[in-house]
Amino acid sequence: MNLAATGLACAVAIGVLTALAALVVPARSAVVGVGTVLSGAAAMLAGCAAMSGVSFVVALPALLPLSGMLFTLDALGGLFVAVTGAVAVAVGVYGISYTRAPDLRARGVQAVLPLFVVAMVLVPAAASAGAFLVCWELMALFSLLLVVAEHRRRPEVASAGRWYAVMTHLGFLSVLIGLMVFVARAGDDSFSALRDSARHLSPLVAGVVFVLALLGFASKAGIVPLHAWLPRAHPEAPSHVSALMSAAMVNLGVYGLVRVGFDLLGGGPVWWWLLVLVLGAVSAVYGILQAAMSTDLKRLLGQSTTENMGLVLVGVGAAGLFASSGNRTLAGLALVAALLHVVGHAAFKTLLFLAAGSVLHATGTRDLDELGGLRPVMPVTTAAFGLGALAASALPPGTAFVSEWLLLQALIHGLPASGVAAAVAMPVAVAAVALTAGLAVATFVKAFGVGFLAKPRSAAAAGAHESPVTMLAGMGIAAVACAVLALAPAVVLPGIEAAARVAGDPAVSGAVTLRLTGVTGALSPVLLGLALIVAVVALAGVVRVVATHRVRREARLWDCGGGPMSPRMEYTATSFAEPLQRVFDDVVQPELDVDVTHHEESRYLVRAVEYRRKVPDRIERRLYQPVLRFVATCGERGRVLATGSVHRYLGYGFYTVCGLLLLLAVTR
Amino acid sequence: MSETLYVQLLDLACGGLLLTAVLVLWRRELAVIIRVFAVQGAALAALVAVLATREGSAELWAVAVGVLVLRAGVLPHLLRRALAGAGEARRETRPLVNVAASLLAAAVLTLLAYAVSQPLVALSPSAATQAIPVGVTVVLIGFFVLVTRRRALSQLVGFLLMDNGITAVGFLTTAGVGLVVELGVSLDVLLAVLVLQILTSRMRETFGDTDLDELRELRD
Repeated sequence: MNLAATGLACAVAIGVLTALAALVVPARSAVVGVGTVLSGAAAMLAGCAAMSGVSFVVALPALLPLSGMLFTLDALGGLFVAVTGAVAVAVGVYGISYTRAPDLRARGVQAVLPLFVVAMVLVPAAASAGAFLVCWELMALFSLLLVVAEHRRRPEVASAGRWYAVMTHLGFLSVLIGLMVFVARAGDDSFSALRDSARHLSPLVAGVVFVLALLGFASKAGIVPLHAWLPRAHPEAPSHVSALMSAAMVNLGVYGLVRVGFDLLGGGPVWWWLLVLVLGAVSAVYGILQAAMSTDLKRLLGQSTTENMGLVLVGVGAAGLFASSGNRTLAGLALVAALLHVVGHAAFKTLLFLAAGSVLHATGTRDLDELGGLRPVMPVTTAAFGLGALAASALPPGTAFVSEWLLLQALIHGLPASGVAAAVAMPVAVAAVALTAGLAVATFVKAFGVGFLAKPRSAAAAGAHESPVTMLAGMGIAAVACAVLALAPAVVLPGIEAAARVAGDPAVSGAVTLRLTGVTGALSPVLLGLALIVAVVALAGVVRVVATHRVRREARLWDCGGGPMSPRMEYTATSFAEPLQRVFDDVVQPELDVDVTHHEESRYLVRAVEYRRKVPDRIERRLYQPVLRFVATCGERGRVLATGSVHRYLGYGFYTVCGLLLLLAVTR
Repeated sequence: MSETLYVQLLDLACGGLLLTAVLVLWRRELAVIIRVFAVQGAALAALVAVLATREGSAELWAVAVGVLVLRAGVLPHLLRRALAGAGEARRETRPLVNVAASLLAAAVLTLLAYAVSQPLVALSPSAATQAIPVGVTVVLIGFFVLVTRRRALSQLVGFLLMDNGITAVGFLTTAGVGLVVELGVSLDVLLAVLVLQILTSRMRETFGDTDLDELRELRD
């Protein structure tokens, strides 16, 4: 047994034992927290070992009838195992005190968390279609149980759970059919057999397999138009589960796409990857637009997950495009950018969700309009969220900046490299990435500025308190990961390059300064960060020096003559997003409602103005409502069949059996 | 045991199975139906015993004894106990399909079973596999009883007929499904009967009757 195998086995064993312990031990929160941390750490170790080239294959024929289960770990799988493990470590520490709430303390909820981590760790380690699908389904089921953990307290949780259950299972069905078509052609369900048979696959079958897999994996990754579950399930799940789902589970959609598209099918025609690229670009822009309009802190983070997964898919699509036109260096660069973004997103989304959970824990509300003024009472959480917001907004020195810069480099340099399709797609993709980056800055300035700074706008926000130390420690782990990824991405780049080997050659080198090998371009995050600090310090110094030479005069802050500043004068999330909403009015089509109440004496005197804004999801309304209505109509029609008579129901079975037997007897 | 004797005994047991299944359709008196069902259990046990003698397998003999105890002893006893508590309703008064039509349907089902089982028989023609259509017929007739009879008790018998048929097909095709599997299936059947018995008595307490069509109002 090598390190990768031992690590993975330990991760699974510790996870399962923790789940069992959670059922019997009274101090569940601590046990589950520690167990999840250990399991995650073991998985991280296994993933890192796999990325450095250690590999193994385990066949467990007795575990699944007929096909058996096959597990292995290569660099690509290792990367995702390591990311999942790292998220689990932060979440485990955080959960020790976070899960003391009565709903989260329940035995079942506690036991499912480590099992969820185990299932997520096993998905990238699966080496046969059977094992992959079983682990995928386990992951979906465990996450569903965790999403509905708080269903007793809030009725919306049940609705979110239903959406999630239906969408995730439709996605599973799509992946299942796709892989089964593939397996039927290959004759064996191990990935190596699939890989060998891909060359003999007709373009039509390969296309069908790819599109079905893309549909399933895109729905897991929350890609438009299959994103409807994401902004529902992420906010309603407990925050540490949101972090796991948003930072680790959605990644596996990307993993599945890269595994099936590049590894098993061995790349494909241009239209596959154009489809991926377009889906990614649309998701990125649409996701961040919805997030920019959102006033619910966790919903905003969920919609930002759609945006980030969209950016990742832009990278994956570009990599496929370059690979299919034979430019392996650029393909490697684009995939490295995409995978680095996956890692970075995992780090900052963990941090942001954990911080949001801390806010929710302290104030009981997720509504940004009711928050504000948290900085003095929750300094650590505020700092953590601020760091996460910087990391998410693609500004130097942020975590997302490095990966988005790499992505832009790949897209820009791809223009002369490939054919007509790429010549059209690349500029549009660059524009989409740039627009997304800009909107992300606005979104996270809103989330941080409106949510944490200024004065509290509600009693709940005013009465907030800092979270317990383990919750802060969990955030701290994620914050350190963010900082490392932002300043020294070279730490993880060798592993990511090894994983990106499925599509292209290594394209980035250098320790402090990242140099691109195929094309001209270099970036040094550390030096950039240093330069920024120096600039800020110098500017502050200059201002101070200049200012001290002037005569000082004390004066009251200008308050428009409206008396002392009150929280009602602050920007709220709604008002902050208003200019953006005007710009994108045609796209988001908000529903506005203004109620003006007049004084009884004179209608020239306004007593109160009530402004309500709702930003419905247009894609959801256009795409899902007709389908839901159709299903409801079918259900209504189907009630004719169900009269309530037991004999009738039995008769349906009897006649069907007899009809089938008759068919068999006649057609044979 | 000589070949002819084996075939004749096998045919006799299978004939018993088929005849009892048809008798269940014919008779209306619930007590008689239960008695017929017990006879069918004995016929099934005899079938297994014949196969056991042929194979010379002690394990199969054990299964035969088990089948006899369960299907000719325990299950009929349970049914009789349910019937004893049933009070007035001792007759299947108004089946959804009348007795004459039921018998005709049974004939059609027999033909269907025969036509369908031909590929199975063709796989390895032998005296045992030739009798597969009988097992399939019993399954279909059991299902038919389940669909057309109103009393909960006769439905129970229909369900058990299906199970008898499935067991018979199992033994005829593979000459034994293994002791463990048979044990598990038997236990399942026993549990199902116990649960349904409780259900029947509850139904009677609630509605004063065991006519399943009374349940019509329970939907939604």
